[in-house]
Amino acid sequence: MTASVISAESIPGTGRAAQGAIELRQVSKHYGDVVAVDELDLTVQPGEFVTLLGPSGSGKTTTMMMVAGFEEHTAGTVLIDGRPVDSLPPRDRNLGVVFQNYALFPHMSALENVEFALRMRKVPRPERRQRAEEALDRVGLGKMGGRKPRQLSGGQQQRVALARALVFNPAALLLDEPMAALDKRLREQMQEEIKTLQKGLGISVLFVTHDQDEAMAMSDRIVVMKDGKIVQSGPPEEVYNHPLTDWVASFLGDTNLIPCTIVERNGEEAVVDLGGLGLAKVRDRGASGENYAVSIRPEHLKFRTRAAAGNGCAATLVSSTNLGATVRHRLTAGGHELQLRELSSDRGTRILPDEELWVGWDADKAQLLVLES
Amino acid sequence: MKTTNPQHRLLALLSIPAFLFLVIPTAIVVPVALNDSRYITFPPEGISFAAVAGFFADRAWTSALTASLQSAAIAVVIGVLLGATAAIGLHGRKFPGQPAVVGLILAPMIVPTVVLALAFYQFFISIGMVGSIVPIGLAHAVIATPYVYLTTRASLAGLNPALVRSAQSLGAGPLSVLRHVYLPIILPGLISGALFAFSVSIDETVMSLFMQSPGATTLPVKMFTDIQFNLTPKIAVSSALLVSVATIGLLLQVIFVLKRRSSTRMLPLAVSAQT
Repeated sequence: MTASVISAESIPGTGRAAQGAIELRQVSKHYGDVVAVDELDLTVQPGEFVTLLGPSGSGKTTTMMMVAGFEEHTAGTVLIDGRPVDSLPPRDRNLGVVFQNYALFPHMSALENVEFALRMRKVPRPERRQRAEEALDRVGLGKMGGRKPRQLSGGQQQRVALARALVFNPAALLLDEPMAALDKRLREQMQEEIKTLQKGLGISVLFVTHDQDEAMAMSDRIVVMKDGKIVQSGPPEEVYNHPLTDWVASFLGDTNLIPCTIVERNGEEAVVDLGGLGLAKVRDRGASGENYAVSIRPEHLKFRTRAAAGNGCAATLVSSTNLGATVRHRLTAGGHELQLRELSSDRGTRILPDEELWVGWDADKAQLLVLES
Repeated sequence: MKTTNPQHRLLALLSIPAFLFLVIPTAIVVPVALNDSRYITFPPEGISFAAVAGFFADRAWTSALTASLQSAAIAVVIGVLLGATAAIGLHGRKFPGQPAVVGLILAPMIVPTVVLALAFYQFFISIGMVGSIVPIGLAHAVIATPYVYLTTRASLAGLNPALVRSAQSLGAGPLSVLRHVYLPIILPGLISGALFAFSVSIDETVMSLFMQSPGATTLPVKMFTDIQFNLTPKIAVSSALLVSVATIGLLLQVIFVLKRRSSTRMLPLAVSAQT
């Protein structure tokens, strides 16, 4: 793979004070009787990379389009840098937007595409040409300025779209599933490049995706959305390791959900009864509901010796599948089916199905959550 | 070119007579116009440009030609403005009564021309607008508009709505969006719509006949009246003129489409391997 070609060095206007706070206060969007976005409160701090993560129909794209000004919200206020922008048309909001399929102007060259925003701002020709060329250089496409979009690969079009959205020093960058059309390898490379670019510029980003890996890889903060509401928000590790509901836990990746009853709640910790698996100490973030479960990620379950301290239980191996970098073991324990994932390189002596085993986990890796379904 | 596929050969065998059947009656006016005779005869007795020269020397015929071109110009300009703005305005929008609006725009294609002619005749007399080419041009614009609307609407089908949004997010106002997003995409539709508008106006006889006056006699009307009293090869010359104008228009459109297609063709480039 080529090294990251996007650099933040040659950027005009770098070193400007970080700005671009986005704030949504009680913002709703109704389509007739359908509530697409429901009284949403959301803040993007200057320089922060915030991802709206959710399945299709969760209202994440609608939320972004309301920030950009393409959708009118039914209630609430949108503020950019503390200023309400509800009555401003998209062109006056000074936000760089990258669309799902890039939406490059097909009849313009890459350079003309990048120049467009400056042309609209009546920047004199020599200056705008220079700034556009610099922006293209920055995304590693300095020599491709004369190409039409259709003569560029998907990754190159993506970079032109980025350069076009950044050339006019917008207050913030809005990215609507910008990597959806790229293959996996290129997607991972672009994720890193966008992240590098964002850090270098210190620009705020509101990012929309349904891909949890992408959200984990890029965000300072993930905002998980479902049915037009925020279900959980926090740094990627926190949302992943400490989901508040079973829905969040499953949406962010594979997990073991073990229904439980609460024995004792004690601030950050709780003691729960896991039925056939006995009593266990788990993390508690104070979520309340009718039914509870404990979520343990497959990679947090470990094969242990019975003597080791901490939570654990006896288990029987059902099957093992080699997934390349990792091995997935299916187990049964106390009437529950469990998944355990370990690195192939950590795999010790080969264990056989029906063999009696002991599995354990660290108390801070087991999360008490509300069972929604 | 060699056609090896028997199906292709059969297709050619069937289409050639159909093609000739369609083209010969139209093309036959050309040899008649170049006939060396004082009357309209076929087959031609010899080739001569006397009738063509006679046509252009005759003030009555040249003023008819001018009147036709003037009415066509009015029809093209107004038809393109109305048809294109209607197509852009209605594009991607749904509102109650929208089918009725579209129906209204397309109505002139369906209403019999003679009914329209009578209506326009009475209307323009009642507002005192007679004796010039303007009312004829306006009437032609009404029947030309649906053609421009349809061709523009067809080319708008290929518009990616995100293009409009991305232009807006980059700071483009409505006029800039029109110029930089809509115009490049609807241009082929506009051109073929304008050609349709032109040929609809050049060809239109009934309305022009109703509203004719000494200063506003179009070519088809002049031909129609001359056929009854003054059968000369000049009629054939004007027919040949109309046929060649239509042919040139059609060829220009074909060339434009082909050129555009070749310039927008995907180029297989090695650069895609770089990313």
